Amino acid sequence: MLEKMAEETISIPNGFVQNPVGGSNPSVAKKKRNLPGTPDPEAEVIALSPKTLMATNRFLCEICGKGFQRDQNLQLHRRGHNLPWKLKQRTSKEARKRVYVCPEKTCVHHHPSRALGDLTGIKKHFCRKHGEKKWKCEKCSKRYAVQSDWKAHSKTCGTKEYKCDCGTIFSRRDSFITHRAFCDALAEETARVTAASNMNNLAHSGLNYHLMGTPLGPTMAQHFSSIFKPISSSDEILDQTRRGLSRWMGQGSQAHETIGNTLQEIHQLGSVNSVPLYEGPLVSCSNPPPSDYQLNWVFGDKLSSANVEALSSTSLLLSDVKEAGTPLVSVPSLYSSQHYHQATSASMSATALLQKAAQIGVTSTDSSFLGSLGLKCSNNQVQDGDKYCGLYGSNSNTIGNALGSDVENSGSDITTLNQLQMYPAKHRHLQSDDSSGGQTRDFLGVGVQAISCHPSSFNGWI
Amino acid sequence: MDITLFTSSKGPQFSHTFFSPNNNGDHIALDMHSNANQQHSHTSTSRSSVDSAGGVAGCAGEPYGDTTGNKWASKLLKECARAISDKDSSKIHHLLWMLNELASPYGDCDQKLASYFLQALFCKATESGQRCYKTLTSVAEKSHSFDSARKLILKFQEVSPWTTFGHVASNGAILEALEGETKLHIIDISNTLCTQWPTLLEALATRNDETPHLKLTVVVTASLVRSVMKEIGQRMEKFARLMGVPFEFNVISGINHIGELTKETLGVKDDESIAVNCIGAMRRVTIEERERVIQMFYSLGAKIVTIVEEEADFTSTRYDFVKCFEECLRFYTLYFEMLEESFTATSNERLMLERECSRSIVRVLACEEDEISANNYGEECERRERGRQWSDKFKANNFSPSGFSDDVVDDVKALLKRYKAGWALETLPQEQQQGGDNINNNNNNNHHENAGIYLTWKEEPVVWASAWKP
Repeated sequence: MLEKMAEETISIPNGFVQNPVGGSNPSVAKKKRNLPGTPDPEAEVIALSPKTLMATNRFLCEICGKGFQRDQNLQLHRRGHNLPWKLKQRTSKEARKRVYVCPEKTCVHHHPSRALGDLTGIKKHFCRKHGEKKWKCEKCSKRYAVQSDWKAHSKTCGTKEYKCDCGTIFSRRDSFITHRAFCDALAEETARVTAASNMNNLAHSGLNYHLMGTPLGPTMAQHFSSIFKPISSSDEILDQTRRGLSRWMGQGSQAHETIGNTLQEIHQLGSVNSVPLYEGPLVSCSNPPPSDYQLNWVFGDKLSSANVEALSSTSLLLSDVKEAGTPLVSVPSLYSSQHYHQATSASMSATALLQKAAQIGVTSTDSSFLGSLGLKCSNNQVQDGDKYCGLYGSNSNTIGNALGSDVENSGSDITTLNQLQMYPAKHRHLQSDDSSGGQTRDFLGVGVQAISCHPSSFNGWI
Repeated sequence: MDITLFTSSKGPQFSHTFFSPNNNGDHIALDMHSNANQQHSHTSTSRSSVDSAGGVAGCAGEPYGDTTGNKWASKLLKECARAISDKDSSKIHHLLWMLNELASPYGDCDQKLASYFLQALFCKATESGQRCYKTLTSVAEKSHSFDSARKLILKFQEVSPWTTFGHVASNGAILEALEGETKLHIIDISNTLCTQWPTLLEALATRNDETPHLKLTVVVTASLVRSVMKEIGQRMEKFARLMGVPFEFNVISGINHIGELTKETLGVKDDESIAVNCIGAMRRVTIEERERVIQMFYSLGAKIVTIVEEEADFTSTRYDFVKCFEECLRFYTLYFEMLEESFTATSNERLMLERECSRSIVRVLACEEDEISANNYGEECERRERGRQWSDKFKANNFSPSGFSDDVVDDVKALLKRYKAGWALETLPQEQQQGGDNINNNNNNNHHENAGIYLTWKEEPVVWASAWKP
């Protein structure tokens, strides 16, 4: 039987044909996790045929031939055979890390350089991407190839709530989408955008691409791409987001410290986890002066090292941002159209650099969070701050379990935020930075004007 | 007879000046039955006061039943229809008067049905249907706006799957038929005000493969819809941008007859994959034109044609007033009951929808066919046909049923689960299964199995959705 298994494996140039039953030897040292898809060059590459990969009982007992799904189960079983001591020991080889390639030729993980380190991981990947979707959610009839994905989805299906910018909450996704398409909040945003001045939106796409360095897991990608999708760039995007942010940021607060203060407040609020995520793109969706540029690099670094799945890690960003201080301060300036010109000249070099970074950093998967969020910020006319507000409600839930915030919390967060904006901060959290220089203007001053348009959009059409 | 009775914006209430029942029991200009000399109380919206007055039951006797029970309206209305058909003018007057007393557009289901059907019966008796219809339409147009239409249709979709059933089925069929294509062109001839398309756009955007380019050409015939189409178009374009779907939106208006459309007028290009989506629009085509329209669909070279219609037959009965009336009453009773259970009691949207029905009812029952074509109203016919009848027409014109895949059926079932209880998906309506002619049924069952799915409410088929391929 072992031989039979061996026949099914594909020999590859890198490693040598390995007996898939070899099993993973427990390593003494703590396993270091690499980035997905970037395997340890020393590792042994194993290529399994689809059949072998999907075989449920890959671990066979050499004595009785019984098959087991997991190596641990096999070992337990072997004990029952009362083997003499010598045979009890596994044929120990040196503990060698094994990585697996996807048998699907067209897949990016087929090449050994992009092998995945975990057998279960490669199995799931193969099923998800190249497999038949056998599992179906009853409630929404969404289909899954991997049973655990399906189970996870079933738990949360129907419990999500979607919140539109106008304030209406939906339990059903389809009615949310239809409403969104016709909602006044959508229309108003575009109207304001076309009236605003133009900015180079490529810069923003650059910003955003850089921001989100790591590809997202499929779930998140789906969620996000479902709401924001890369679209053809248009000029008014930034204005849109500028407006949006100003709306989000301020209800007339005058002091720039408030922003930092607010962010801190956000951080302290219960549902922080969802907020920072949007903080990132929001902040980056601007034409930053050099100090902002640094900020974004800070963001970028933080993000690239963060495990994207654990969104709580993004909360770290906020704290870093706060400490970085001034860059944040200067961001809102971009949202004031009156101060636009001043901001623009300072920002060109930074945006050009970021643009280049974007071109390097763009991943091929369109549906990645990176792409969608980034482009969303920069390219979408409709993507406005209002939306972000709405996003706190809707996306925080769509992002899922990790965030754990419900719509009400998000809603209250926003109102709290708004309230916070009203009162200037008592003490500065941010360092004063010369580079941020002449940024003593009232960034949120224009926010007042923006806000006046704002309430109507919240009225929506309820 | 004063036709201007119906111009009041409140609705089709009779003015009392016409019948003027006063407390003496004197009835001017009416030849009533002797029983009618009893006193009758003023019309009220609650049943109890009618009863306390001694009620119509006392006046009319057993045939009309107890007004506290259900279906008094149905009985009275049918009697009246028969009387009109028999041209029994005294009976007609009597019944019209009684209905007028009891009817109200603000009451319960029976009262509403009585009210709206009374209006149609009155028009039929007085041969003023055309004028009445025109008046009702112009009144509606004045109060019609993008906001009101949007609110109405979205609210309806939220509380009832009546329309969304067709949307989900059609979108599913279209997506599957055009899978893998890069240039999609959907020709939309519907009454949905484009509410079907946001979910399709979202589905296109989240597909695994390249997002295709979508061109949407909307054909508008109803005057009410034309005015709001510009705004709708803008919203669609914005939303498509939001979704990241390359999108083009065109409106074809000013077309009186859908059958006149051609590839050129619709802007169909050779490299496009065409889908024709026709929801609630086939019934608006004049009966003689329907075959021609189907042939026109064929000539467009569409990969798929989705048809959604309400399950009622006002066409084969058009020469038999009583049968047509009964069918009409049956259908609208279902509809009104459905509305009552889906909306809240004080819903303004429900009132609007009911008023739309009143126009339809007048159109079907009180407008003469030749009048319609003579006046060239375009597609405002409103004579529905059952799914089976449409199926036969399509099959006769080189189309074959495409059926809905299991996935789409699952989607629809999941949709129905999201609404209140009472809704179900059936592949064959009950009556076909109970059909008397067993041999035919066995042969036809296979035929009709794929010819569409039915939305049923309390086990009554109400909406039919189908997909056809050339």
